[in-house]
Amino acid sequence: MTISTAPAPDPKVGKATAKPGRRRFRPGQARDWWLGAAMVLPAVALAVTFKLVPLGRGVSTSLESSSGFGESSFAGLDNYTRMLDDPTVLSSFRNALLVVATLPVWIVLPLVLAVLIHQRTPGWKLFRAVYFIPYTIAPILVGIMFRQILAPEGPLNTMLTSVGLEPLALEWLNGRYSALFSLVAVALWSFFGLGVMTYLAGLAALPDEVLEAAYIDGAGFWRRLFSIVVPMLRATVAYWSVLCASGVLIWLFPLIYALTQGGPGDATMLPEFLVFQTTFQFLDRGYGSAIGIALFVFVAVLSIFSVRHMFKEGTRKR
Amino acid sequence: MNRRRITGVLAAGLTAALLSACGGGGDAGSPSGATGPVTLKVLTWEPGGSEYWKQVKTAFEAEHTDIKLEMQAVPFDKYPEVQGPYITSQSGPDVMANNAGLELFDRRGAYEPLGAKAAEINKDLVTYSGACEGFDTSKPCYGVPFSYQGNVLYYNKQVLKAAGLDAEKPPATWEEFSAACEAVTKSGKTCLALGQSGTFPAYWDFPEIARNYLSEDDIRALLAGTISWKDPKLVSVLTKLAEITTKGWANKNAPSITMLPDGADIFQRGDAAFAGTIISDAVNWEAFGKALGDENLGVTRWPVINADAPLANKFSGIEGAVYGVTKWSEKKEAGLKFITWLAGKKNGELWVQHGKGQPLNKNVDKSLLPSSPAFQKIQELIADPTLHAGVMLSGPEADALARGWQQVTLGQLTVDKWADQMQRALERSPTKKQGK
Repeated sequence: MTISTAPAPDPKVGKATAKPGRRRFRPGQARDWWLGAAMVLPAVALAVTFKLVPLGRGVSTSLESSSGFGESSFAGLDNYTRMLDDPTVLSSFRNALLVVATLPVWIVLPLVLAVLIHQRTPGWKLFRAVYFIPYTIAPILVGIMFRQILAPEGPLNTMLTSVGLEPLALEWLNGRYSALFSLVAVALWSFFGLGVMTYLAGLAALPDEVLEAAYIDGAGFWRRLFSIVVPMLRATVAYWSVLCASGVLIWLFPLIYALTQGGPGDATMLPEFLVFQTTFQFLDRGYGSAIGIALFVFVAVLSIFSVRHMFKEGTRKR
Repeated sequence: MNRRRITGVLAAGLTAALLSACGGGGDAGSPSGATGPVTLKVLTWEPGGSEYWKQVKTAFEAEHTDIKLEMQAVPFDKYPEVQGPYITSQSGPDVMANNAGLELFDRRGAYEPLGAKAAEINKDLVTYSGACEGFDTSKPCYGVPFSYQGNVLYYNKQVLKAAGLDAEKPPATWEEFSAACEAVTKSGKTCLALGQSGTFPAYWDFPEIARNYLSEDDIRALLAGTISWKDPKLVSVLTKLAEITTKGWANKNAPSITMLPDGADIFQRGDAAFAGTIISDAVNWEAFGKALGDENLGVTRWPVINADAPLANKFSGIEGAVYGVTKWSEKKEAGLKFITWLAGKKNGELWVQHGKGQPLNKNVDKSLLPSSPAFQKIQELIADPTLHAGVMLSGPEADALARGWQQVTLGQLTVDKWADQMQRALERSPTKKQGK
């Protein structure tokens, strides 16, 4: 090994001699660049083929007018302006907003249950399994099952009546709001197990000493939940929130299909079911696509805040 | 060394791909020298039940050793959802079914028109106009029907007796029906088993009321989309439909269930006095007879509302499922052979024996017809047919009819607003829009 006594090259001098507007790669750097590009390329190709192309196709179909399964013609923004004047579409988005309003329940309920399981509340092993079971039942079966359970003379109302709670024995699937409420409740029953598991995974990464110290200091359950667990579990809560925000609008299809078909009237009609019905039952592809694109924008707007928050959390310097 | 190994692997892969393409790429039915039988994919909701379709497969394959049938059976109320994507993507089954009338016309782009062959194939059928555009056999026809269909009112004689009613003399007018329902409800049973979800109200209930207000020209106008839903005649039809539920004749959960299976189940369990369903296919006299006993099952026409109406005492009849060859099928010859066979005498007899339905083929051996009293009564009722108003409704109209009826039942909508919704549904019906 030799030590050179020659003066070190002045970086300014080097810069001055380089050709303006052109970056010079060393052979190793160029190879790295190509290797990186080659590794990213499959992911980009997949994203373009399976996400951007269908989305682009959806947008172009939404600008067409189709008659049955016949030829379609360019319709400009007709399908979009038609939506603004269609009470079923407006009603479906109003229902979607009502469903979105239930998001706090979707986020908080699994969290509370996960914390109870995490702190080894008696029976926690049983409940950990029991909570997850509904998620493993096909939603279409859940729908069929609850159609019987929620019938006016079904088991739920029979039970309520037998314990003296007759005023609560509603016609669950017949009311304007009770039908939507029932649909969301059934969906929550079906999916909250996934939330519990997600939170449990996050809780497993928390240091036990912190929770134990809070317990010793006399912090109650709710204090521990909101002052310690939620701040430390922020990333998991944000992740589950994003999943729910988009999920409540696109998970419900099989349940609507099996449980209410969007009825009575349009009480449980949500945009995703309307897209399906308009496209495949009414054979109006252009209009169905336009509703689909509107739903896409609706979900994107809803998710974007949570995703941005998650991104900030993830990139924040600690 | 590495390069040589990679080249070797690539060459081997290419050779294997070429070999498999040459050997396995062709369908058994392709004309490129393959020897096996052609496999024909048939999309059906199995009208008549799975036993009948098993018999169809066995009998047809025995007569046509060069063709194999591969059935894709889908429940009736889920059928449009399965068929829709096939049509949109112009791929899938070689032969498909649709209800005669507008449902078929809506999807005519998916079927190969039969052209001059239609008359020859269907020559032995009592009628096949429901398979042709505008119910006109001189226009393009898209398939082959083999069963006759329509609605009657089944009743449970035991429930009527328990309510103090004459089981041999069921109510014949709207007023008599109202009185009967009052008696049945008092006895603790449901009067009319009903499910208002899906397309059933359009196909099973609407035509029975419509007959009391519409002429055949009006029904044709309904098909063409030239009669407004705000027309007083159609508003009267909606008003009478609304009465069925607002007067408390039906089961409480009617707005949230479908007629098949839920509504029919109520009747089959013996919990309701009446059920308005069909004469062939599922939930007909045969299924009800088995559940309640043939001796307890009665059949009558829906009660007459307007005795002076020209069609009031007629039967709203329609060809049943129509089977056609798909436009995208590469086995059109085989498909044509199959649907031609469906229209034939042999299938007509299988339909009677195993589907327990009403055949369209005139040459079916009469001695094979069932001896059930309900079936015999149906023969009487169908003798004087007219057009079936229900199959003239487009998808959006059928949907709006069901949803509006649910809302009217629950007190969320007036009949006038329902008529407005129906009119909007008519205006957004692609096929009817096209016809204007």
